[in-house]
Amino acid sequence: MAETTGTRPSAATAADDPTRELLDIVPDDAVTGTDDHLNAPALVVRADRVQATLSALRDAGLDHCACVTAQAYDDRYESIYHLRDYDDPTREASVVVPVPTDDPTSESAAPVFRTADWHEREAYDLVGIEYDDHPNLRRILLPETWQGHPLGPDFDGEEPQIVPFREHANPLADDRRGADTMFLNVGPHHPSTHGVLHLKVSLDGEQVAAVEPDIGYIHRCEEQMCQQGTYRHQIMPYPDRWDYISAGILNEWAYARAAEDLADLEVPEYAQVIRTMSAELCRIASHMLAVGTFALDVYGDFTAIFMYAVRDREKVQNILEDLTGQRLMFNYLRLGGVVWDLPEPREEFFEKIRDFLDDLPESLEEYHDLITSNEILQSRTVGTGVLPPEVAKSYGATGPVARGSGIDYDLRRDDPYGYYDELDWDVITDDGCDNFSRLFVRLREVEESAKIIEQCVDILEDWPEDERTIQSNVPRTLKPEADKEIYRAVEAAKGELGIYIRSDGTDKPGRFKIRSPCFSNLQTLPEMSEGEYVPDMIASLGSLDIVLGEVDR
Amino acid sequence: MIGLLKGMATTMKHALDGKTFTVEYPDVAPEVSPRFRGVHKFSQERCIWCRQCENVCPNDTIQIVQDDQRNGEQYNLHIGQCIYCRLCEEVCPVDAILLTQNFEFTADTKDDFVYNKEQLKNVPWYKGIDPLNSRNPDRNAWVGEGDGEIDYQ
Amino acid sequence: MPVPLQATGTATPTGTAANGTAGAAPPSAPLADAISGLLGGGLLGDVVGALLGAFLIANLMLIMTAVAGPWAKRKITAAFTDRIAVNRIGPFGLLIIVADAVRLLSKELVIPDGADRPAFDIAPIVLPFSALLGFAVIPMGNGIHLADPETGLVFAFAASSIASLGLIMAGYASNNKYSLLGGLRSIAQNLAYEIPLVITAASVVIFTGTLQMSGIVAQQTETLINVGGIRIPQWFAFVNPFAFVLFLAANMAEIGRNPFDIPEAPTEIVAGYQTEYGSVYFVLFYLGEFIHIFLGGAIMATLFLGGPAGPILPGFLWFIIKIWAFFLFTQWARSAIPRVRIDQLIEIGWKGMLVLSFANLVLTAIIVGVIA
Repeated sequence: MAETTGTRPSAATAADDPTRELLDIVPDDAVTGTDDHLNAPALVVRADRVQATLSALRDAGLDHCACVTAQAYDDRYESIYHLRDYDDPTREASVVVPVPTDDPTSESAAPVFRTADWHEREAYDLVGIEYDDHPNLRRILLPETWQGHPLGPDFDGEEPQIVPFREHANPLADDRRGADTMFLNVGPHHPSTHGVLHLKVSLDGEQVAAVEPDIGYIHRCEEQMCQQGTYRHQIMPYPDRWDYISAGILNEWAYARAAEDLADLEVPEYAQVIRTMSAELCRIASHMLAVGTFALDVYGDFTAIFMYAVRDREKVQNILEDLTGQRLMFNYLRLGGVVWDLPEPREEFFEKIRDFLDDLPESLEEYHDLITSNEILQSRTVGTGVLPPEVAKSYGATGPVARGSGIDYDLRRDDPYGYYDELDWDVITDDGCDNFSRLFVRLREVEESAKIIEQCVDILEDWPEDERTIQSNVPRTLKPEADKEIYRAVEAAKGELGIYIRSDGTDKPGRFKIRSPCFSNLQTLPEMSEGEYVPDMIASLGSLDIVLGEVDR
Repeated sequence: MIGLLKGMATTMKHALDGKTFTVEYPDVAPEVSPRFRGVHKFSQERCIWCRQCENVCPNDTIQIVQDDQRNGEQYNLHIGQCIYCRLCEEVCPVDAILLTQNFEFTADTKDDFVYNKEQLKNVPWYKGIDPLNSRNPDRNAWVGEGDGEIDYQ
Repeated sequence: MPVPLQATGTATPTGTAANGTAGAAPPSAPLADAISGLLGGGLLGDVVGALLGAFLIANLMLIMTAVAGPWAKRKITAAFTDRIAVNRIGPFGLLIIVADAVRLLSKELVIPDGADRPAFDIAPIVLPFSALLGFAVIPMGNGIHLADPETGLVFAFAASSIASLGLIMAGYASNNKYSLLGGLRSIAQNLAYEIPLVITAASVVIFTGTLQMSGIVAQQTETLINVGGIRIPQWFAFVNPFAFVLFLAANMAEIGRNPFDIPEAPTEIVAGYQTEYGSVYFVLFYLGEFIHIFLGGAIMATLFLGGPAGPILPGFLWFIIKIWAFFLFTQWARSAIPRVRIDQLIEIGWKGMLVLSFANLVLTAIIVGVIA
């Protein structure tokens, strides 16, 4: 909770160096106070000086607007802009913008960071804060005709939603964006929108004149469900279901990292190694599916590549089934460690993993034969779906999408957690900025993950038997101190998956905000496909590798 | 051209080597690992009606009805609604509820999936495998062997 | 080597075959005549013979399509993807054909609102009909050859091109933007690749000097070279492999198969021109596509692979083997080759293949002139 003092803190008070640094950057009349979040110094800023503050911070190097959290207190609303630096993610800043309940309007950050466009729409949709200067302030996750703001202070879920017929626009009405364009709805039922995604496309012949993604078809109120579950046990099954394409452990790790840092819990080193190994297995599975579905989009429905990718995924899932008990919704991490140790007999398990890793180079060779060295694929993907790095940074793109545009950003190396900084592996980037480079980055990342897993297996094999602690001591009911806020992120399969938690003294979170990488990545689609052809748009969508469960939460 | 031919050669190789990755399911049983989380099995003899499982279940799948002397009357678990997270087994102090590896269960309507204690007792073990052995290492985690303050509630 | 054609060359199936010189036969209808002979001849016999012959050939092709569609395609795709496919119903899973037929035909026939009715209904008939019509002039060996006009090759190409009309009708009449896109793409594709196809076939005609299908087949039975006792016949695939590859590519584009399956690109425009069709109409489109594949294979076999010719086995079996080999090739390409974009496809058609096919024509003319 921020202290909304009317005066700026003077130099005599004990402001931290990072806070002092921030205060020096931003314009003086903007700041009304400071706060201390667990991950970053926070500035409380006036609602009409948001853009000035954010541009000053962006020009000082904090060019990644990772997340925009909106929450409602009893007496006010707050938007928090979590800023980071692409070159050094441990350098963070939070900009807190409180607005009164009776007039919840603040200046929009969309002109400064393009990614704030959708994030602020979501804040308006779910919480009810309005943003001046926003190019397009409409609901994004809920239907246009929804009444009320679910995460706002007085939303009654029991009241029926009454939508008069005239309110709802005719979905079949002719909608022309230009003189010679044809409007086409791609999705929500479409073979290659990876989930229920609705793209409103205006076509000029075969070229895309405008595309606007329309999301929210699989909005499952994940944030609200996590706010109704206890930290210790009940939240952990849910992160599996955000990015449900086999990246469950990576999602769980995001939550585990945020909650452990919030409640100041230790994780034994043995558990960290196991977490790292299982997370990299999940990353391989996720990238395999990304490559396979991309091939489906470009090669047509009967391609063998998709089946080979699924076959490799099945091998990973078999290993994860032996370890965690499930093939997709693992529920394997707990706060303080993992739920159980490697299966007995350990040698058999290690051998299975080693067999899989031995077969992997051959399978990757096959993929390179089938995909990357294919001339037709190269002519389809090289030079299409171009995303220049500056634009990508402004949209907050992370993960293989950013690394495929040359941005060297990987949280495993730059903001280390787990056992990553003790292992020997590289971050793959590619300067191509097109569909092909994103595909290539994913295939190469599978190799790097295999390296990490191999090293972890060697370490686990030699670990002395009596030091294998898998969970540290965590109280049965975990009640962190009230009013502590934290934002932590991990490198999930699709990019930076961040979680903001604010504790309110009970055993359930007060606010739980999920920063989903696919949400920010999907916003780059219009940038990539306007001016290109329909097949290129489909290929770009495939190369973004979005999972609608994570976009809509 | 060469890339195309390499790709075609790869798929032809797969076609001609005759190996398949899939199995003919009902005749050949799939490999299920010992830790697989399938349908629950409930033991009324062991249950002490502490209601921890009901408390921890993330989506309120377990319903316990007790009379005013706190004797257990009903234990209902909707195996269609359950997300198979295994938290109930994890917090149970007496191993009264376990997840077997059984994944083959059918019903005619969704309401038939609400299993009461009789049905939960009669869930068969999958191929006779007792799952507890494979999950033994878990027990140390909640028994708690370490220093520091422990807050049990 | 041009040979004078018969003076009374009309393509009516009357009379018995006149004694023609080697390499040229008068237009005749062997199958129809055979059946007519069994029935005793005369006008009634001829008419019934012709109808029965057509019935037999059409049935034969439809049986092959029925085996290829629900069964063989799944088996082949499964082999490429390391899976086990249809093997439960019937021996080797062959009764899946019956099951699929019942399933597809029992679905509800949904006509979208605003569909242009006559065109919407006629389009699925045009597609398989055009392919079956083309089969009338294909020599299948052992006397199974329905009609043998002098302009057989032209007739075959003309018949198979009627399919473009069906596709554009389906695309436009469905009142669906995806179908429209699919129909437009398919017409662009067909136009672009029709000319290279015909020009390449024309280069074959320069060799044979006749458009008559039986003549083309007869020309290819002569010996090319003798390799250590094995006689290599004069199949045009051996004589001019460049033309063979060109014709293969143009044929794949004509029938809409990978890498040129843009008109029905399922991952981009749902199902292209087929989007709004269900039940019987869908069956007709599905079968029609397969019959076109077989027709393409049959024309290629006749032009380049010597038609119904081969050692030991009867000619008819060789013919079946050749068209199935072409079918297998299209399935193989489908599993491994990506789809080109529509503008790249048009570019390849008009800029690449057209130039190459004309170059091939000139080359062939020079070679023939030199040899003669």
